[in-house]
Amino acid sequence: MDQERIGGDGFAFEGNWRDYAPIAFTNLLLTIVTLGIYRFWATTRTRRYLWANTRFIDDRLEWTGTGKELFLGFLMVLVLIGIPLLFLQFGAQALILQGHAGLAGILTLAAFVTIFYMVGLARFRALRYRLSRTWWHGIRGGSDDQGFGYGISYMWKSFVGSIALGLLIPWSMMSLWNERWNRMSFGPHGFEAAGDHGPTFRRFLLFYLFPIVAAVGIAIVAVAAIPLGGMQPGGNAGRIGGMFVVIGLFIVGIYAGLGLIALAFYASFFREAVGGLSLTGLNFHFHARTRDWFLLFLGDIALVIATLGIGSIFLQYRHWKFFVTHMGATGEIYTDELTQSQTKTSRHGEGLLDALDVGAF
Amino acid sequence: MPDFRFWHYDGVTAVRRSVLLRPAGDGFWLEEPESGWTGAHTRWSDLTVIGAEADRSVYGNSAIPGWRMGFSGEAPDGIAAHLPRGERYGRWIDRFGFWPAAGVFTVIAALVVWGALAAPGVIAPLIPRSWENRMGDAMVGDFGGRFCRTPAGDAALQALVAQVDPRHEARQVALANIPIVNAVTLPGGRIILFDGLLQQARSPDEVAGVLGHELGHVRHRDTMTGLVRQLGLSVVLGGLGGNTGAYLNGVLAMSYGRDAESAADGVAIDQMREARISPAATAAFFERIGGKEEGREAQAMTWLSSHPLSAERRRRFAAAVKPGSAYRPALDQAQWQALRGSCAADPKAAKFWGEGF
Repeated sequence: MDQERIGGDGFAFEGNWRDYAPIAFTNLLLTIVTLGIYRFWATTRTRRYLWANTRFIDDRLEWTGTGKELFLGFLMVLVLIGIPLLFLQFGAQALILQGHAGLAGILTLAAFVTIFYMVGLARFRALRYRLSRTWWHGIRGGSDDQGFGYGISYMWKSFVGSIALGLLIPWSMMSLWNERWNRMSFGPHGFEAAGDHGPTFRRFLLFYLFPIVAAVGIAIVAVAAIPLGGMQPGGNAGRIGGMFVVIGLFIVGIYAGLGLIALAFYASFFREAVGGLSLTGLNFHFHARTRDWFLLFLGDIALVIATLGIGSIFLQYRHWKFFVTHMGATGEIYTDELTQSQTKTSRHGEGLLDALDVGAF
Repeated sequence: MPDFRFWHYDGVTAVRRSVLLRPAGDGFWLEEPESGWTGAHTRWSDLTVIGAEADRSVYGNSAIPGWRMGFSGEAPDGIAAHLPRGERYGRWIDRFGFWPAAGVFTVIAALVVWGALAAPGVIAPLIPRSWENRMGDAMVGDFGGRFCRTPAGDAALQALVAQVDPRHEARQVALANIPIVNAVTLPGGRIILFDGLLQQARSPDEVAGVLGHELGHVRHRDTMTGLVRQLGLSVVLGGLGGNTGAYLNGVLAMSYGRDAESAADGVAIDQMREARISPAATAAFFERIGGKEEGREAQAMTWLSSHPLSAERRRRFAAAVKPGSAYRPALDQAQWQALRGSCAADPKAAKFWGEGF
């Protein structure tokens, strides 16, 4: 009894950009006339719309976060991090003027390490905050972990990932993803994240293969171009002009190539990461392939350019829609076993530290 | 109304129920006839709006997180009147209406921007000199041992200062071993001339003009105004990040704005008239240094970036030259040579800490 079998792929987006447009445009206007302060309320209105139009199995999601708690979170970040950094800035300035460049360097390094830690902490807390404000069937998610340990993991795993020519980056990314999600829960059930970085590794190696291929390509083009250039009637001038075209194409090619590899890797990474995620009887999947991601970003660029930038207010909508339509779930969930979350987000006041939303950084 | 069905979650489990609403006193009961389930009594005043999308309305209960009651279409008669109204743009904006609120915010925003631009000039003079001095001393110290000191050079510098700043408005005027064509005013009334400026200058009168200009910044407390502005900006913009080189450049190349520069020029001209030093050399200095804008002497750019140069400023100095006045050189030849040679002659002066910032 009370068992929800999942037909289709579980998730569906039922919004429509024409319904969202009034929200997007009024958000833009209010954000401008309040010198940016309204952005916290704007974020909340946008999320409320996006969540309310996202169906999981038989019912919509709900977003119950508020603009006020995001704003308070921002103020806290300003006081706890901004003001100390301001003092540090003037301190470092004074130290340099007095010739203690070494001490100023140490101080700056300390500030850098602190910010690095805070970025990890903020990532964890953003996820926790979002889950705790996301409701389905009157049940919410959350986490009992404050994320302080995750901040440390973030530092050392990112560091280990970057040594050895960055070969461990896929491992560090996946390991951090798993660590984050394994601390999260929905209702009484904990998420289980067992993403494997192995399958993503082949695409990651393309980053290393690409320069070699590019170098060989240049060599071939160069060898082929030398006799051609000599035979051109324009002589030297023609040869130099041709060289500039080749160099230009080459630079564009490098950026496009690296971008595509990054996209291919990320598509694979996200499929593996979400594919390794489960919640009791539910297994999650993500279906977007490199081509889908490519079209998403191409569409983003076209939209922003064609509207002279104003279209960027629809990017959040487009990304959420992309995320939801490619998201899937299989298995079953028993609604009578899905009881209310006992995680303690609300105990230390709505918002505040919880609201260290990434956007606030 | 009696058979109008709501859907309902009790906030304890995720089981979805299809319920009837039975009013009672100041609230109601929810009942699911098929299973015989009955919820706890709920007061109308506890209802909160969770969402109202298209034709779908959802209400929560402020006493029970996760408690939900929803329906599609219009609320049935007898219930609609009890339901709370939801927020749209946020409570404050809803109260005034969208356009009035947007108008009020626009006016406030304009006032804030205007205030942010004007405030530093108002606040800076209110900060006690003693605070500024203490802050300046803490920041600058001995300038990393970069001051050039020789007995003859010091005497020459004092002679120059005595003419341009007879009332001792600047707490310190010093020469630093830095090969940049620049002079800066630091918090606490300290003026520092860079050796590069002396090497570039062709006569002590030019240096007197620059010194008089910096004295103007001291008199008007422009450095403090700049610091307050920098502080305010970094708070407003959440100025996180950056690097120490940028901080230092910020102080050294702090721009005080056109009006402050013009006022400082006025001070320079006044002081030179009082000391009977000709402003002609300073005008020539402006011309020479301005002509090199695109030349190979890139160092000249430093002075230009913090002291926007215009033909107007040059003309002002040139116009201040009174024909027939009994001008005398700011320093005699021996003093001028001693001052220019001060950094080269001082073995203890620390070297500049690298090429460029």
